[in-house]
Parts: sequence; structure tokens; C-alpha cells
Amino acid sequence: MAKPFSMKIAVSVIFLVAGFAVLFGVGFKGNLVYYLTVSEYLKKSGTSDLGENFRINGNVVPGSIEKRSGVLGARFVMTDGSNRLPVLYAKETPDTFVDGSEVVVEGSMGADGIFAAHTLLAKCPSKYEAQNRAATAR
Amino acid sequence: MPDFGTLCLLIALACTGWAVIASYNGWRARSGELILSAERAVYAAWALVALAVLSLEYCIFQDRFDVEYVASYSNRALPRLYKVAALWAGQSGSILFWLFILLSYAALVLLLNRRRNRLLMPIVTTTLSFVATFFLLLVNFMTRPFVRLAVAPPDGGGMNPQLQNPFMAIHPPCLYAGYVGLTVPFAFAIAALATGSLNETWFRTTRRFTILSWFILGTGILLGGWWAYVELGWGGYWAWDPVENASLIPWLTCTAFLHSVMIEERKKMLRVWNLALVIMSFELAILGTFITRSGVISSVHSFTKSDVGPVFAGFLGLSVLVSVGLLIYRLPDLKSENRLDSFVSRESTFLFNNLLLVGAAFAVLWGTLFPILSEAVRGVKITVGPPFFNEIMVPIAFGLITLAGICPIIAWRRATPRKLLERIQVPFWSLLGGALALILGGVRDVYAIVSFSLCVFVIATTVMEFYWGARARQKATGERALAALRSLVDRNKRRYGGFIVHMGVMLIIIGITGSSAFKQDRTASLKRGESFSVGPYTMRFEDMVSSPDPGAAAHHGDETPNQNSEFQGARLAVFRGGRPAGMLVPGQNFYSAGQTTSTEVDILHSLREDLYLILIGFDPREGRATLKAYLNPLINWIWIGGAVVIAGAWLAMLPDLRDRKREAESRLREAERNAA
Repeated sequence: MAKPFSMKIAVSVIFLVAGFAVLFGVGFKGNLVYYLTVSEYLKKSGTSDLGENFRINGNVVPGSIEKRSGVLGARFVMTDGSNRLPVLYAKETPDTFVDGSEVVVEGSMGADGIFAAHTLLAKCPSKYEAQNRAATAR
Repeated sequence: MPDFGTLCLLIALACTGWAVIASYNGWRARSGELILSAERAVYAAWALVALAVLSLEYCIFQDRFDVEYVASYSNRALPRLYKVAALWAGQSGSILFWLFILLSYAALVLLLNRRRNRLLMPIVTTTLSFVATFFLLLVNFMTRPFVRLAVAPPDGGGMNPQLQNPFMAIHPPCLYAGYVGLTVPFAFAIAALATGSLNETWFRTTRRFTILSWFILGTGILLGGWWAYVELGWGGYWAWDPVENASLIPWLTCTAFLHSVMIEERKKMLRVWNLALVIMSFELAILGTFITRSGVISSVHSFTKSDVGPVFAGFLGLSVLVSVGLLIYRLPDLKSENRLDSFVSRESTFLFNNLLLVGAAFAVLWGTLFPILSEAVRGVKITVGPPFFNEIMVPIAFGLITLAGICPIIAWRRATPRKLLERIQVPFWSLLGGALALILGGVRDVYAIVSFSLCVFVIATTVMEFYWGARARQKATGERALAALRSLVDRNKRRYGGFIVHMGVMLIIIGITGSSAFKQDRTASLKRGESFSVGPYTMRFEDMVSSPDPGAAAHHGDETPNQNSEFQGARLAVFRGGRPAGMLVPGQNFYSAGQTTSTEVDILHSLREDLYLILIGFDPREGRATLKAYLNPLINWIWIGGAVVIAGAWLAMLPDLRDRKREAESRLREAERNAA
């Protein structure tokens, strides 16, 4: 028994794997986002090597949610217990987005000092373990 | 009752522990007595775990809020269906349920093979009971479902309203049954490696189990997508969420295995690869369960949060070590008996198909686990966004679709150019015709054109495959066309079942392409009588309705009437191209328990597209309703394709005429031997 594959096949397999590696590398590099707590973000923003886009975790400060009638989304303040971050999200909010719920926002800091989120994920506070997946809004 | 459940689990642990030891030693010592006793211990463990499941359900139905699990996931007002589903609403319950499914598979495997495969079965029993022992350790000592509270609350916390959807009730059992089913081929693979009986027995015996778990897992994934679509209210069905990915990865490797095993059957090639795929699928299923249950990836700092994490990691590590060790030990016996000689042969299309599928699985796995890896290495979590997955999966999907179209045309071993040319005519012209029609029809999205025309190509080759087969049979036997087609399929159900699966997958791809390339949305804030439009649809806001309004309730037929919720919705008259197309009532459910609301979208389904309406809010002072409408073209073909896949998979699992003949022959031989 000689080699199990012919030359032609070996070469095309190598090409395929190489193509995959390129695709993978490019796609991967371009889509990395830091995932931080509010405090870590406030410390890190501006000094990062990963651009403007961040993913931040915290809780909604109770009473901070402002919704205007006829306008999509909400303004709110999120906190990790020690620091606070004002956020603007301009799309429909998921049902799990209420006072005190744990949220993950992704977006970048606006010029007005308000974090403009393009993605918001929310988990109900305490007793509901948001099973299987957190409610998603995109 | 809770103490009874605890006791059952403890005895079950003793049973599976015994089964591991007895079965292994029975195999070493060639002791039939020990082996038999191990098998009985597995049946006993199954019965005990079944009793534990029943007693947890009993506690849920009896509103025993002194049991912590019941107090957390159920309440008095929970409808009956969701009381059943509360079993898998939390961590400890779902691990118990996982265990129950595993032992059910184990008992079934032992029962079916009680007189067959006696060489492999002791190690199969050992492996299955070992996995069961791990999960029994979890429910006995780590996440115990029957923990009692010192003070029972008057009512339970209830189930998350978003989970109160019939699809969500069956989605987790489907996923689990799929994940767990992969243990069966794994156990046989380990048995083949351990005993050194590496012929085709292991995969032939488990073929049906593998297809079964593959299609249950796939169904689970689709049901999850459907649930996200109708319940979460963001107009989509797939978000590359870690939990979704976790179910997709083993499904991809299992798909690869189902294809490459055909090469082993025919050519005795890729033997190491097949074993590796089965081992990978199992480990990835365990990893998937772990990701689903622990939430390690979605939280910012994962390692502190989950207590089952290290235990799962230990189990994964141990099982990888043992399986890979065995595989390396047997490498010399796993030489390929043939050589892949031609580039243009069906074998090579299978090879490329496998590379692409495993590459896809790897990419999804890497993207999913990267946050954990980066946290472990650099102390900071870095996530990879959905665009990464889309950028990689789209080209891979195109490659796979092309292969699915070419593969049936190309002959085994070496394709002759003349035959190839003859066979490729119809599919090739349909591909060109399809692309041309799309361009002339005004489609400018390159991805969509490529995707649609490739799908047309595959459907054409597949239909032609049925045609050529039936025609050849018609010539040989003189049967009529339909009869020839029937007996053709009847004689090789796996092959033609597989082709039907391919067609279903193409429909799914068409649905995914249409709903992602041509999706539209519009938001509007309307007073009564005003309207807005998206695509060809115009919607006029008529009035607000609130339940118990029979019209609104009937409209949301999928919602079980729930006494502790109140519905408020907006009624809209829908017109398509100026003609009345129906009435939609998107709204919100307010649950008094827990002060939560849940958005109830309303959807106008059609084969062409879905009109998906969400009520964002209603301002009673101004009388304005804020609404968002999504237009999702072709989306229903995803679910239709899913149904076709299920039909094809069922067909592939049915016994073949050839199988039945082979079995009859082997019975005859056995009888002769016994007589002699």
C-alpha cells in the first residue's frame, strides 16, 4: 500500500485548507470586540488597540429608563456597582429590558458622552434564570 | 416525594457505577455472569432515574414549593404543558432529564443487542454507564434537583414568560435527545477500538441511531430558530448566539460522519477519520450541553460564575484522553485498504465535503470559545461578532452546495468524461437558466444570485438522479414509471432518503438567502386610521384591543390562555397591493406575577414572504401606537425545507430491502450452524 491519496488530491486539499485559513484569518481579525464591565470600559476606552467598538456588561440603574412616546428605543444608565455609563439604544428593546436587569450592550461612545449601542441583550433580574439564551434584540 | 427522588438517584448511581466495573471486568475475564449483571444494572438505573423524573414532575404538579427547584421554576398558575416543561427549565432539572434520555438510549441499545454484537457489547455497556455515572454524580452532588428550602414560599417564581411557548417546550428535549443520541455511536466506536474488532460492525449497528440523533438535533435547531422568530420579536431566527452555535457544531461534524462513513463502507478508507469524527461529535455534544447549561460564554467573567464548569472540563478532558489514546493505540490496525486515485471521482467529492464541514465546525467552535480562551490567556474577554460567522459560513456553504450538486453526477472511482457530460446537461442548463431569470427579474445581490442558482442546480441533479434511476429500472424490469420509481426508492432507502434530505436543505438555504438578502423593515407611529407600508404591504391602524377579547385571543392561537396575564394589542388591517390581506393584532402580554411583559408579535405567513408586526408601545394620551414591521421574503421555506429533511431522514432510517435480505441470510446461516 502506497500513499492513500494521489498528488492532485493532496495539492487541492492543501489549496482548500490554505483558502480556508485566509478566509478565517481575515474574517476573524475584522470582527473582534472587547467584552468589559462598565468600570473596565471607562478605564480602557481610548487606550485600546481594538478600535471604537465595545461590548459592555452591567445592570440597568432602576428608574433610569427613559422612553419617549413614538420613538424607538430608550435612554438609560447602566452600572456595575461602582461606575455608571449613560446609554442610548435606538431600536426596539427586548421584554427582559427592565429596571435592574442585567444588560450587555455593544456599540461605541458618542461625541456627547453617551454610549450609542447598536445591540442590546437583556437578562431578567434575579429569579428568572434566562434559560437557554438571553433574549436577543438586534 | 422529594426524598424518594433523592434516594432513587443515589441507588441509580450505585447501579451505573457497578455496571462500569462489572462490564469491564466481565469483558476482561470473559465472564458472562458479570456482563449480564452489568446490563441488568443499566436497566435498573433507567427505571430509578425514570422514577426520579416522575417524582420531580409530581412535586411540580403538587406545587411543592418547599423544593427549591419547584419554587424557582413553577408556580400555581402555570398551565399544565409548562409544568411538564418546568422539568427542563433549570439547570439541575435539565441535567436530570439529559440523564434520563441517556439511560433510555442505553437501555434501548442493550435491549436491541441482547443477542447480537456480543463482542462489542460489554465495552458499549461500560462506556454508556460511564457517561451516565458522570451525570449521576452531577445530580447527586453538584446540582441536586431535590434540594429543600427551610421555608416554603406561598407561590413559586414561575417560568420566564418567553419560555411559555409550545415550541420552547419541545425545543430543549429535541436538542438533548440529539446530543445524547451521539453517545451511542461513540460507545460503539470506543468498543470497536478497545476490542480491536474494527470492521464495519460498529457503524452498521449504530447507523440508525446516528441518523436519528442527527435529525433530532437538526429538528431541535430549527425549532429553536422558529421559537426565536415568533417569540423574541426581533424579526430574525438565528443570531450566532453561543447556545445556538453549541448545537450547530456537533451537528456539522455528525453530518460529515454520515457522509464519510459511506466511503468506509464502500472502499474501506477514511477509517481513522470516521472514528475521529464520531469521537469529536460526542465530545462537542458534551461541550454543547455544558455551554448551554452554564452560561460561561455570555457572562463577562465566567470562571467564577459556574460551579459545574471545572467538573465538565475534567470529564471532557478525561474522555478525550481515553478516546484519542485508544485511537492512537489502534492506528496500525486502521490502514486504509484502498487508495483515492482520481481527482474527479465521487470519493474525492466526499473528501472535500468532509473538509468543508469540519472546517465550518472548527470556525464556529473557535468563534464561540474565543471569549473564554482570550480570558484565560490575556485576562480580558474578547468576543467575535456575528459578521465573522457569516463571512466564513457563506463561502463554505456555497462550496458544500456545489459539491452536493456535483457528487451524484460523478461516478465512484473514476468518472468518464462522456457520461459526465451527458449527466450534467439538465442541471447545468437549469443553473444558467436560473441565474439568468434572476438577473432579468431584477435581482442584483450577487450572493443571492449565486445561492439561488446553486440551489436550483442541486435540485435539478437530484431530480435527475431519481429520473435516471427510475428509467434504468423501467428498462430492466418493464415496470411502469411510477412503479419503477417506487421500487427504486424502496430498494435503497438510505440513498434516496439522503437525496430528499439534500432537497430539503436546499429549500432551507433558499429561505435563509431570501430572508437575509431581501429583508426590509419600517417603523411608524400611528394614530387610529393612519397607515404605513413596507414592501407591497400597507397596514392601517384600526383600534386598540385588550383581552379577554375573544378575537385577539383566537388570533394568538399559539398562546395558551393564561389566567395571570392580560393582553393589549393593536388591530391593523393589512392590504397587499391595495387588496385586503387580513388582520394582524400585535400586542403585549402583561404578567401579574413578576411584573413582566412579553411582546406578542403577529405574523401574516405566506409562501412568498412573511409580514411580521411588533407593537412597540401605545401612548393613550395621544392615542398613538408605535409599530415596527419586518418583511421577510421566502422565510417559510426554511420550515418547509425542515419538514422535507425530516421526511427524507425517516425514509433513510427505514430498513432496506437489501438490509432485510442480508439479515435473513445471516439468520439462515446461524440456524444452519446451530443445526450442525
